[in-house]
Amino acid sequence: MQNDMELESMRQQLDTLKEKLNQQDILNDHIIRRSMKKDVNNITRHYYIIIAIGLLMVPYGYWCFVKLCGLSYFFWIVTSIFMLICVGATFYNSRKISDPELMSHSLVEARKKVASAKKFESNWLLFGIPAVILWISWFFYEIYQIQGGDFNNGFFWGGCVGGIIGAVCGIKMHFKTQRQYQEVIDQIEEIVAEN
Amino acid sequence: MTALERQFAQTVAEQKSTIYTVCYMFSQDADEVNDLFQEVLVNLWKGFESFEHRSDIRTWVYRVALNTCISIDRKKKRRSSEVRLTMDINLFEDRDEDTRQVDMLHKRISKLQPFDRAIVLLWLENLSYEEIGQIVGITAKNVSVRLYRIREQLKQMSND
Repeated sequence: MQNDMELESMRQQLDTLKEKLNQQDILNDHIIRRSMKKDVNNITRHYYIIIAIGLLMVPYGYWCFVKLCGLSYFFWIVTSIFMLICVGATFYNSRKISDPELMSHSLVEARKKVASAKKFESNWLLFGIPAVILWISWFFYEIYQIQGGDFNNGFFWGGCVGGIIGAVCGIKMHFKTQRQYQEVIDQIEEIVAEN
Repeated sequence: MTALERQFAQTVAEQKSTIYTVCYMFSQDADEVNDLFQEVLVNLWKGFESFEHRSDIRTWVYRVALNTCISIDRKKKRRSSEVRLTMDINLFEDRDEDTRQVDMLHKRISKLQPFDRAIVLLWLENLSYEEIGQIVGITAKNVSVRLYRIREQLKQMSND
């Protein structure tokens, strides 16, 4: 009985809200026109930028690492492969959420896709952070070889400390976001399990 | 304006209260309502051409609005230059009796999980269990089970 009264009062409150909204204009032409001009959403644009930078890094890497700094060809090849893997993974993930009809799907279906894309992005750090640490170490090693052992210690150790702090922050953020995505997925599983 | 754009503008004008209600229930302040409203419009436009009226327009608008509000990344920096909604009232700040009632509803619904928030909102809009199920992506039976639990939760809230 109390439940019904509770819900009935909520319905009345919603009616009050609707009445208030019906008296308002809310919309203007600018808002509607602006929404119709946005063809690509921010997420997809962000992915396109990453893909473009990744692809550009291959020729730029050759010029910068091999020609300018005199680092080994092998270092450039491995860096290029790493960049192409990043591009492939980014493209794969962007496909999941670039569907223009994504938001027209049911809540469970759409949320599953978004959560899966976000989880992939977060899981990517598990590969990305160690790979970047290895790459930076190798980069320093290559520089060290060229400088003939006379390498500036302050530069080297500063880079190492910065790298470690960055890695710790990245891993911490990774676990935090992983926990949040897991909560969303658990909620979807809970809601679907009752079917 | 093309015919499609005119049709879209007409649809949005007809459904403005529905869109605003969903955005309001998933927001913490007037700025957030504004951001969500604009994001919903973008997503409605993206899917409008392929909508083809296979389902009821209101059901489709609910689905897109709820999906947008549940999925949006709130950590993203807000775009302060966005065009503002045209509203003479601020449901988060005005203090007349009606707004107080609306605020009570907002507080109750905000305490629920996003999916439950969506279900109760659709139920309050007098949609059938089948329609709610279609929007959320679960069976009508499952909707009734969820609603029972939500009622219990709401009862608990009012007792606290």
